[in-house]
Amino acid sequence: MSLLHAVWLQTPAQPCLVLWADTWRVAKPQKLEGLSAPRPHPLALNSDDLSAWLEELGRLPAAPVAAELQFCLSLPSRSNGLPLMAGETLPKQLEWWPWQLQGLALNAAAAADWLGQLPLSGQHPELGEELLWWAHLQRWVLSLVARGRWLPAVQLAPQARAQWQPLLNHEEDRRRLEDLALRLPRVVTSGAGDPEATLACRRPGARRLQVAEIVAALVDGQLRQSFQAEEQGLDPLLAAWQRALGPGDGGLELSPEDGERLATATNHWRETVAGRVAPARAVLELEVPPNDSDLWKLRFGLQAEADPSLRQPAAAVWAAGDGELSLGAINVPQPGELLLEGLGRALGAFEPLQRGLEGAAPEEMDLAAAEAFVLVRTAAAKLRDVGVGVVLPASLSGGLASRLGLAIKAELPSSAKGFSIGETLDWSWELMIGGVTLTLKDLERLAGKRSPLVQHKGAWIELRPGDHKNAEKFWAADPALSLDDALRLTASDGDTLMRLPVHRFLAGPRLQAVLEQYHQQKAPDPLPAPEGFIGQLRPYQERGLGWLAFLHRFDQGACLADDMGLGKTIQLLAFLQHLKAEQELKRPVLLVAPTSVLTNWKREAAQFTPELQVLEHYGPKRAATEAALSKALKGVDLVLTSYGLLQRDRELLLGHDWQGLVIDEAQAIKNASAKQSQAARDLARPLRQSRFRIALTGTPVENRVSELWALMDFLNPRVLGEEDFFRQRYRLPIERYGDTASLKDLKARVGPFLLRRLKTDKSIISDLPEKLELNEWVGLSPEQTKLYRKTVDETLEAIQRAPLGKKHGQVLALLTKLKQICNHPALALKEESVGEGFAARSAKLQRLEEILEEVVEAGDRALLFTQFAEWGHLLKAHLQQRWKQEVPFLHGGSSKNDRQAMVDRFQEDPRGPQLFLLSLKAGGVGLNLTRASHVFHIDRWWNPAVENQATDRAYRIGQTKRVLVHKFITTGSVEEKIDKMIRDKAKLAAEIVGSGEEWLGGLEISQLRELVSLSEA
Amino acid sequence: MTSSTTTLSKEGLGQQPWWVAEWMELINSYRYKKRLERAWIYAREGNVLSIRFEGRRVQARVQGTEAEPYKVKLWLDVLTDEDWEFVLEALTQKARWTCQLLAGIMPDDIERAFAVSGKRLFPFKLQEVRSECSCPDKANPCKHISAVYYLMGDRFSEDPFVLFQLRGRSRSQLLSDLAERRRQHLADERAALGMPPPASPAAVPRPDPLSWWAYTAPLDPDLVVITPAMAGSTGLDEAGDLPLAVEPRFPEANQLFLERLRQQGSLMGQLAMAKAMGAGAGP
Repeated sequence: MSLLHAVWLQTPAQPCLVLWADTWRVAKPQKLEGLSAPRPHPLALNSDDLSAWLEELGRLPAAPVAAELQFCLSLPSRSNGLPLMAGETLPKQLEWWPWQLQGLALNAAAAADWLGQLPLSGQHPELGEELLWWAHLQRWVLSLVARGRWLPAVQLAPQARAQWQPLLNHEEDRRRLEDLALRLPRVVTSGAGDPEATLACRRPGARRLQVAEIVAALVDGQLRQSFQAEEQGLDPLLAAWQRALGPGDGGLELSPEDGERLATATNHWRETVAGRVAPARAVLELEVPPNDSDLWKLRFGLQAEADPSLRQPAAAVWAAGDGELSLGAINVPQPGELLLEGLGRALGAFEPLQRGLEGAAPEEMDLAAAEAFVLVRTAAAKLRDVGVGVVLPASLSGGLASRLGLAIKAELPSSAKGFSIGETLDWSWELMIGGVTLTLKDLERLAGKRSPLVQHKGAWIELRPGDHKNAEKFWAADPALSLDDALRLTASDGDTLMRLPVHRFLAGPRLQAVLEQYHQQKAPDPLPAPEGFIGQLRPYQERGLGWLAFLHRFDQGACLADDMGLGKTIQLLAFLQHLKAEQELKRPVLLVAPTSVLTNWKREAAQFTPELQVLEHYGPKRAATEAALSKALKGVDLVLTSYGLLQRDRELLLGHDWQGLVIDEAQAIKNASAKQSQAARDLARPLRQSRFRIALTGTPVENRVSELWALMDFLNPRVLGEEDFFRQRYRLPIERYGDTASLKDLKARVGPFLLRRLKTDKSIISDLPEKLELNEWVGLSPEQTKLYRKTVDETLEAIQRAPLGKKHGQVLALLTKLKQICNHPALALKEESVGEGFAARSAKLQRLEEILEEVVEAGDRALLFTQFAEWGHLLKAHLQQRWKQEVPFLHGGSSKNDRQAMVDRFQEDPRGPQLFLLSLKAGGVGLNLTRASHVFHIDRWWNPAVENQATDRAYRIGQTKRVLVHKFITTGSVEEKIDKMIRDKAKLAAEIVGSGEEWLGGLEISQLRELVSLSEA
Repeated sequence: MTSSTTTLSKEGLGQQPWWVAEWMELINSYRYKKRLERAWIYAREGNVLSIRFEGRRVQARVQGTEAEPYKVKLWLDVLTDEDWEFVLEALTQKARWTCQLLAGIMPDDIERAFAVSGKRLFPFKLQEVRSECSCPDKANPCKHISAVYYLMGDRFSEDPFVLFQLRGRSRSQLLSDLAERRRQHLADERAALGMPPPASPAAVPRPDPLSWWAYTAPLDPDLVVITPAMAGSTGLDEAGDLPLAVEPRFPEANQLFLERLRQQGSLMGQLAMAKAMGAGAGP
């Protein structure tokens, strides 16, 4: 896939945004030394392809504004003479070379429009990461325009031009400039219009200026575009200026003298507001009075824009004289002028400063308490807005902490047996301002001093007019504190109790334990595998079990969202067994899952928790009336059903009293208005008795904001409120603009009910074997079943009648045909193309798709092995359609060059294919495909050695990821039976099976019948 | 003497900085009121075609009765290097003076710095302003010169350093001289106290050079919703009046110009907010 890029180019005519793209292809290494001109970039699209591709993406700028352009770009390159692409791992030896490229150039006005269409967050495989930077920059530009943060200006060099200049002096905008400059993807400014231009060594300080220039150009382009000059009543000078501010290149039609005059005057105009874009600014630092004095100290100095913590006192500034001053790695030219000019602007915002500047080289001054208060309360903000930094003592530095709030101590009451949300806590509180606690009496006494800045317990704090009254009000109300309050107050900073912010919350040991588990600051207490559970739980699975039990005690719904392969099924089964062992499992639990995994559940339950009585509510023989259901449910612990039946048998299922409801593959209810989601929700909220709710999913559910509401609506409906509220408060800000504050808040809200561990987590990885094998049990579709039976019946008869010499071959042919049917009827019927409803015809394909969905979404890569080349071709076509990405297929017919290209691309291309199909014979040996973390054996070869060899393509020495091996087994079919045979007779298998599948040909007809007949799953 | 009104301001202008007012009073002290009146009309009607500050002199062209404009030169007595030594030494003593000058304000007690040299920054009498005009009129100042006088006052408000330039020191000369003196002053002071010169803090590490393409930061939460300007907080509000001399023939021009910018700026701001609402939902 191609990747779109955008760079900023300073062409002689005008600065412009240039779009270009690269794509992975095989390129010949070349020598770059001694070249007189840059080489064409071997991996870039030419301008025709670029336009075509942009058109396809819907991102082609309108024709007249975009011009084709040749330009040069300095890119990190390999020593073999190939440029690196975004996302490639960096080789040890890196060189920088200029490359020649073709692109589409947009002037500033068009660029601003185009950039405004870019997504502000999210994954976009076709867009380079620097486009996100551009999108954020443009967002800022819009904000500057909306807030009117600009002034018209005049620039003289290289030619006289009128310009709209952004004002970046407000604190928030300074921070944004620093932020975007610091994070600037450097490719953005590494271009040159002139091929002769060489890569200049840029100091970090220069990036701020580059970004400021880009912002200036975009603001100018945007405002100029829609500005309409109206000359009536203006003198010639202003008329000319106004004209030049409208659409066009901004050229000023004025005599040099007039131009100069305009430039001088407007520069002053601007500088009194904004100051200059400089690497540092003046800073005033307030210090509390020493013990024996009531005079505050105000120290002068310079502060680096890039890092406000880098400061130099005025003495160092004066000492630098006319030379440079260094602030860390940042060099500040003419620091004295910078400081003086800043202090000059500060005079307008904080008048007492005048007194401090009467000396020759002032370093500090004294402030009376009243003056210090003015500084803290009002002047600090004004000073920051005129571009002067202010540093205040910690207890006064504004923000919530310096306001009146509460310090709380709380503990679960000793009488409490368990704990429920409404539980009232034992608690006490104190008032707190600026980090020091005080009593109501203290506050009264301090307020009596009639000074807004007072000293208490050694710290200076600020009292506000309403403080005393608010504190009294709280004291009078004397509210109770519930466990629910405690959970809320400890979930995020700045939460309030009766409108007072809670600055400190100290929980007693027992409450602390509850809070920590609830907020998952601490892993929940692990629970060992319960009695009656056959098998071992890994340590993280014991923690998962403990967590499920913990939330169960709170009567809170839980979503276990562990990564695929970590054993969600086992944890859930262990949880049910835990209930059973504790004699808490009194009524049946209903588990809803996609049809494709019902078989899997049944197998796993039989294996791990044989004590649990499992009933499948599925198929034509299922209970159809309430009476029949009640009868069928006698003694049953777990009922399995499908999402389809959840809808169809809704009334029947609603009528029964379940102890709990579990939904597997919970993404099935992501659409809240879908029928099956509503049915699940109705089942989760019975009128009479409480019912526990658990959802299982392997998808990163916390990142799918739109699906989160439906999930929480099922689990704990109060947590996220009504859907409309949720959409406005969370979904729009997060999905559209990637708002992290909302996302953080959302995660804090749902965090307690979500447990997701990844295979890559440090605490998990040590618990896992390096190679994890998973059996994927699947059924057969009706079409498969019919075809399977027919084939067995017809062929067995033929084999019986066949002469001995041919029998062997016919047996193997039958087995092959049956394996094909298990894969897909189309394969057995020798169909050559993928038609409508292709996936629905095979249960195995459906399940494969479900798992691949998680793989693709997680950005992982997978190898898919099959022994049937025809199946590979069909699957390739189907998967490509399904995921709209290329799926290479390496088989016996691939040429040597093709094979190498496919392997290289899979291993090297940063945006290469995620799925790679291989035929078992052609791809099983010799290849190194360590980028994959999943291996799928779609059909079985019944020779563990061959399968293992194939698996080892991904799992090799040097592989740092855990590899998940999925083996598909169709239940009731020949696949399951042979699998069982091999496992039961491991030794036999090693000897006999080692030779291939030949041994199957020698089976007796009765053995064969037993082996191939379809048994009830 | 912080500020007062001027002749021009009677025509509807706001308040002038005090140093401009000072200049105007100087001109108005001229005895020949008739000539001043004609000069005022010249100035107001745009007969002064250009004013340029060239080094220590002001060069102007004034359209008189003849086809070819008259050339007017104006200059002040330049301070000697020795005088400047005194002035600079005095200027160094109060950092505030430089602060204010750099912020575009003429300190109202600036003459105290010049008093030590026995000289002045502002001319005390009109006779101290030297002038020449290419017109046939024998009188000095003629109406052409006087017309230039009027306009120069406003030029001073555009840049307080202009007066220093006329007295013989350019902005950059002045600032670099002052910086050197401050450094010296500090060194002397520290040496007297036996203190070492201040040290530089440790260097910070350079940014990772390999971040060529990478950018994964989330959008600034404050940019999620694009908000309009709060009252009085646009750049135009904060910058105030244009520091451009009013062209007498177009007394309303400065205000008109700003008013139009304000109107269109608010429209463009609304447009930007509309764009921001639709952003992020593209293809």
